[in-house]
Amino acid sequence: MKAFRALTRNTVRSSLRNRVALFFTLGLAFLFMVIFGELFGGNNFSIGYAVADNDRSAASQRLVAALSAVPHVTVRVEPGSTALDDLRNNHVDVVLVIPPGFGTAFDNPASGTVVLHPIQASQTSASASVGDQVLAQVLNALESKGAPTGVVLGAPTTSAVNNITAIDYFLPAMLAYIILQSGINYVAIGLADLRARKVLRRLRATPLRPAQILGAQIVGGALTVVLQMIVLIVVGVTLFQAKTYGSWLVAAVPMVLGTAAFVGIGFLLTSAARTSESARGLASFVAFPMMFLSGIFFPITTLPSWLQTAVHVLPLTWLTDALHRVMNDGVGLSDIGLDCLVLAGWGVLTFAVATWRFRWD
Amino acid sequence: MAVIEARALVKRYGALVAVDGVSFSVESGEVFGMLGPNGAGKTTTMEMLEGLRAPDAGSATVLGSDVVRDARAIKARIGVQLQATALPPLTKVREAIDLFAALFPTARSTDELLREFDLVEKAGTYATDLSGGQMQRLSIALALVNDPEVVFLDEPTTGLDPQARLNIWDVIEGVRQRGKTVVLTTHNMEEAERLCARVAVIDHGRIVALDTPARLIGAHAPGTTIEFDAPHGVDVQALATIPAVDKVAVDGRVTVSTRAPERVLRDLLDPDAHWLNRDDSGAQAAIRDLRVRQGTLEDVFIALTGRSLRT
Repeated sequence: MKAFRALTRNTVRSSLRNRVALFFTLGLAFLFMVIFGELFGGNNFSIGYAVADNDRSAASQRLVAALSAVPHVTVRVEPGSTALDDLRNNHVDVVLVIPPGFGTAFDNPASGTVVLHPIQASQTSASASVGDQVLAQVLNALESKGAPTGVVLGAPTTSAVNNITAIDYFLPAMLAYIILQSGINYVAIGLADLRARKVLRRLRATPLRPAQILGAQIVGGALTVVLQMIVLIVVGVTLFQAKTYGSWLVAAVPMVLGTAAFVGIGFLLTSAARTSESARGLASFVAFPMMFLSGIFFPITTLPSWLQTAVHVLPLTWLTDALHRVMNDGVGLSDIGLDCLVLAGWGVLTFAVATWRFRWD
Repeated sequence: MAVIEARALVKRYGALVAVDGVSFSVESGEVFGMLGPNGAGKTTTMEMLEGLRAPDAGSATVLGSDVVRDARAIKARIGVQLQATALPPLTKVREAIDLFAALFPTARSTDELLREFDLVEKAGTYATDLSGGQMQRLSIALALVNDPEVVFLDEPTTGLDPQARLNIWDVIEGVRQRGKTVVLTTHNMEEAERLCARVAVIDHGRIVALDTPARLIGAHAPGTTIEFDAPHGVDVQALATIPAVDKVAVDGRVTVSTRAPERVLRDLLDPDAHWLNRDDSGAQAAIRDLRVRQGTLEDVFIALTGRSLRT
């Protein structure tokens, strides 16, 4: 145990001393957060509405037109699900769903009453509360032109989605990035280098068991990932002021399982590669496409549908999804059960194959 | 008492037989050398004794334990220095010694080893920034970290400059004086002659001779060796008939062994020598770069294999 601890500690220490590796993991994660935070996080003074017009009557179109005419108000008319996504991603402040029957009720109050419930994010922004007042005035203005209508403006409802900023979105994304890059690279390249430089052979000339030698490299790599995640979270929450919603304990589950899965992939790459150069190449070959396809930098809903199906094989898709849902939407463990299961499956599978195929020379 | 006993060790890599039935024993407290060119099977033999490779046939015991069955127990009691430096990356000298100390049940103090191997000033330096000689001192220090009874050194001075080599020889001499048994491989005959009590001359996976350096020289390279270059080559058979010539070998340079150098030299320097090839112009043939010296292990190797160690 003393030997295992010493070897693990040495692995973590030399990993953290590797400045180039540190730049491509933690360094790039911070850089991405700065760049994307600036790119998507600009302040605006307008009120954004997403209107889902499920009525498509003359009255509903008049409401949309009247709302659009208000200064500093932008309106996008889109399906309800897209509207909620826009609310989540802070593209709009208020979602307004115009229910079927709106036109009938508006023109003929006797036929019944329709209640409009503007939907806001759970973290109400200043724009959103102003938005409610604007909506009330617009409805009043429309009413004053004719007889009283059967439309009542109800109290705003709170959506299950949280209104998140770009930084809130990129903190879980960058955690997934760290797990991907560090998990794969520290283990795949680190282990392949040790093999090429005969360090593994030298260690085998000591009383250490083979499993202890490999185990120390793998646990050391995983600990390096965990340390980097802690730094990213602390700096993200304090310096970048990222808001998170779910429980950290719940978030820790996909983090740990994701680390296991990607460390497993790294280990598998060492087993597949003969030289440390080919391990390096394989690591990039595996990490780069995954990084761009798995919802780290943009939502996978923007991909063509055939590709969306394909990326659901990749563990990073599930890890990113789980972290977004816990940290942005605040869901509990039961809602990310499938994500966790897929990650655990990847971990078990990669370790099994890597152990079976590993070569010491 | 024999601390190492190798019995008909065989190791094959596919069709290549790297070690082809090697047997020898090493006595407690002696420095035992394996001398041979690259690829002769020295390192493979050593790695079988260290428990790093399982022999395909034959067996061996180290400190009374079987190298296959009791590999872990043996590894705790031996010290190993591999040909490559083999240290984890971005590790400082003191950290490397601390690390290896933690890998064994008992270990010597790091400070003591730093002092003994003259590495105190380099304790905080990354191992990769050490000079060749310092690096080699560190890897021998690491081989001694568990205070082993037997130390295996694989080509401890290969690639070092002459001064660093002399320094490492002193270090190995010091290890022997502490009562350790040392097994080393080398393709440097001077090193083998200077350090080793006994030398196994290895070629193509077999031991071709095994004895003390003095007796090997006495048996296979007695008397005096005369070396020279012959630009157009020599007639080896004619050369061998010169009176008092014991043996002739041609391996780039011409090597003539004799116990009566004064007589042989007179014939060798004869400008009309019939055994000397001439070029077409019939120009005066001459031998060049003549050297006369006592026999060495190099000559033993040439005498036994017909080839030079350096090839």
